[in-house]
Formats: sequence, C-alpha cells, structure tokens
Amino acid sequence: MTSRQMGRRISAQKWQGRPSARNGARRKKNDALSPRDLRRLAQLVACGTVFVLLVAAKLLLPAKMEAFNARLTATMEQNMDVQAVFSAVGRAFSGEADGGVEAVYRAVFGPQTEPASQTAAVFGKDVSAQAVGSSQENAAQMTTRKLSAPADAALDALRGFRDGSPEVSQEPEAEAAGLAYVLYSQENLPEGVSMEQAILGFDYSTPVSGPVSSDFGYREHPLEGEERFHYGVDLAADTGTEVDCFADGTVTAVGDSSSYGRYCIVAHEGGYSTLYAHCSRITATSGAAVNRGQKIAEVGETGIATGPHLHFELQKDGVYYNPIYYVSAL
Amino acid sequence: MFPRCSVSGGFVILAVWFVLANGWPPLFTVLSAAAVHELGHWLVLWSLGAAVTGFRLSALGAVLETDSGYLSYGRELAAVLAGPGANLLAALALAALGGGERFAAVGANVVLCAFNLLPIQPLDGGRALYLLASWLAGPAAGEAVSRWAGTLTAAALAAGIGLVIWRTGGSLWLLPALCASVWWGTRAWFAGAYF
Repeated sequence: MTSRQMGRRISAQKWQGRPSARNGARRKKNDALSPRDLRRLAQLVACGTVFVLLVAAKLLLPAKMEAFNARLTATMEQNMDVQAVFSAVGRAFSGEADGGVEAVYRAVFGPQTEPASQTAAVFGKDVSAQAVGSSQENAAQMTTRKLSAPADAALDALRGFRDGSPEVSQEPEAEAAGLAYVLYSQENLPEGVSMEQAILGFDYSTPVSGPVSSDFGYREHPLEGEERFHYGVDLAADTGTEVDCFADGTVTAVGDSSSYGRYCIVAHEGGYSTLYAHCSRITATSGAAVNRGQKIAEVGETGIATGPHLHFELQKDGVYYNPIYYVSAL
Repeated sequence: MFPRCSVSGGFVILAVWFVLANGWPPLFTVLSAAAVHELGHWLVLWSLGAAVTGFRLSALGAVLETDSGYLSYGRELAAVLAGPGANLLAALALAALGGGERFAAVGANVVLCAFNLLPIQPLDGGRALYLLASWLAGPAAGEAVSRWAGTLTAAALAAGIGLVIWRTGGSLWLLPALCASVWWGTRAWFAGAYF
C-alpha cells in the first residue's frame, strides 16, 4: 500500500467515524434541511446519476454510444428557421401574405420535412401525396427538390412545361425537376436556362404592363428565404388586371397548383410556350385557339405569392428564356 | 427599491444553444420582444404603485416578481394583460411601419403575445383567466377554471411542440418548452391554481 492510498483510507475512516461521534447534532441538522437544500440535493443526485450512466454506457457500449452520438448530433443540427417563422407570422399579421397559415406552416415545417407530405397536409384538397425524393448532384452541383407531386392532369401539363416536353419527363432527372424549385450552391446557371435573347420569329405583345417585381434569375425566395432560380419575370399589377396572350397560339393547359396558383399555358409557333401564373381567374379554356393580345386571364395572387402579380415564363424545348426582352415593363 | 435580478444557468445554456442552432438575429428578435413584454408589465405595475421586487430570467422565460397582494382583481388583471398588450401594440406599430426586415420582429411580438395568453398558470393568460374567474365567480371557481383550462391547454401545447420537433426532425431547443408544458399540465391538474 502506497502512502497515498493509506492517506485516503485514513481520511475515509475519519469521515465514517464522524457520524457516531456527533450523532445527535447531525440528526438535528438533517431535520433542519430546508426545501431549497433538498432541491439542490435532488438536482445533484439527478445530475450525478445521468453522468454516471452516460460514462458507464460509453465504457461498456462504445459502438452504440458512437451511433447514438452521431444520431443526436444530426438531430441537433436539424432546426426550423426561427427567423423565417417569425417573418411568416409577421407577414400574415400585417396582411402582406395570402394564405398566412400555410406560409407559417411552411416556415415551420418547410426546410426539413419531406416536401410532398407537407404539401399534402396543407393543400390536401388538390394534391395527392405521392412518393417524392430529391435527385441531386450533377456536375453543376445542383440539388433539385420536388415541391409537390400532384396527380392532377393539368398539373402534369405544367410539369411537362417545366421539363420541356412530357416525353422527356420519363427520365428520372427530368421527372424530379417537375414542379421544382432548384437550389444551387454555386452561382452557375441551372440546366435548361438561357440568358440569351432568342429570336422568336413571330409577333408578340406584353401580357401585362407593370413594374417588374422580380427578375429572371437567382433570387432569394420571398417566403422561404433561400436562394432559388426564378424561371420567369414577375410583373406587378392589381388583382383583376387583364392578362393578354403573348402571341397567337393554343391553350394547352389550364390548372390550379399549390405553388403557381391558377395558371395557364399557351403553345406558340416554333416550339415556344408561355406560362401565366398566380392568376385570380383564367378566362381562356384548355384547347382554345387564342390570338396575340386576347384576354386569357386576370392578375391575382393565388398560389405562393406575396402580392398580386403575373408570373410569366417563356420556354422552348425545355430551355427557359428571360422574358424580360419581350415584355414592356413600366 | 432596485429589483433583485437573477439569471439562471438554464437560461444561459438555452440561449447559447439557441444561438448555435439559429444564429444571433433570432435571439435578438426574441429578446427584444421579451423586453417589450416585460416593459408593458412594469409600466402598468409602476403606474399602479406596485413595487417590482425581483426579475428572474430562466430557461422558461422572464418573470417579474411583485408584491401584488395589495392590488384588486381588476388592477392585477390590467398588470397581467399589459405584457401581451405591449407585444400586440408593438406588433401593430411595426406592421404599420412596414418593411421587409420588420416582419420578423412583428412575428416575434405576435408569437410572444399569443404564447403568453395561453391559459396555463405560470403564463399571463392563465393568471388572467384565474383572476377574471375569481373576480366574477369567486376564488373556488377561479381555481377550477384555471385547473381545467391549464391542463387541457398544456396537453395541447405539449402535443403541438412534440409535433414540431418530430416533423422538423430536430429543433431540440424546443425540448425545454415541451418539458415545461408537460410539467405545467401535470401541475395544473394535481395542484389546482397554485403550487
């Protein structure tokens, strides 16, 4: 026995010896333990127990503890965006956003949950929950995330619009790009986007005259705060303002989507087509032949919108063009 | 008399965790809204001549201690409702000013106002409900109403927070709130109005 161990033993004996020596005094002191002291004691015991159990678990089951640790770390890293939640509540309170409850719901559950289940829960009436996934990581390091997978036939047309053509949508990548918002980690252009001015080869006119409230290109999403590519231009106008057809063509789809609201798609010459979204009303019918300048809809703020505007997209064979060259913005 | 101030370790840990999880701006937003809230209470207490004897910041929020024993039901009710009222006024004022960055502050004030109006005893809503019911129908009725409302609301709140944690797959910093609401519910049921 080393001197250190001896010392310890002696002190232990000394400590044990104490109660018998001052038995009476100690009992008196014990009785006098205040609720505050008792609470402190309980806290100490609880903390000590947790500590001992954790140390024991780490020593006895290192692998399980490692796995638990990894899982806990992952869980702790998942957080709702508090600032976005407050902003959504604030917007709803200020009357700035339509669908206040939906916006708050999205802000709370949006960033982390599977998008389809969330969409189905909020927009259960028009969306059937289908399997979703996020396909990602091509050379451009892009991540596509499907916002919703609606079963509605008109929405399939919309998906086809986004994919370029419905046939293409059989490819898994294109399928995932369906009604997608695309998130990028780099400031590169997403696939299927052209910043060049195309020569259309037909007459056209602006669908709505109004100030551009959001340009074609990367932007911070007005409700979710993330940087996303905006595939069209937003022309601000009062609700009910006439939306005129961009050029002669045929209405290929009329529908209602959780993100685009009421929308219609018109196919034009040369493979071009245009999308008019967030309308309060669509006056054209699917399949109808329409002329340039003819009223096809009215401006609104249906779907995900923070105010009345027309979201206008122009695409050809799956390539999105910047519509700014062809509209007259105020 | 200058009130006794205390900040619990739990508050510091939760604040650090909150910042690590969410960054500084939300903490600032929340604390500003909390300051508005307490200022509302304090202003009314001060105007009624009741001394604020202490101020505690804990993981479950800020608490003003006062010798409200002298206050009538009506006056105490005014002091209790002043906190959420101040938040509501702040939210309305900020909303009227408008602007993109202010929405978070508006939202924080609205959330704090709504949260504090939940009819669970340690929260303003619970105290207000107890005072109002006691004022109208006597203390026994006040305690009964408080008990039922507190237990049911706390259970609903716990379920709601649990749902948020489960659906976001994280947001564990809400765990203290979940534990608190379970505790509040249990306490409201077994101990009536007071503990």
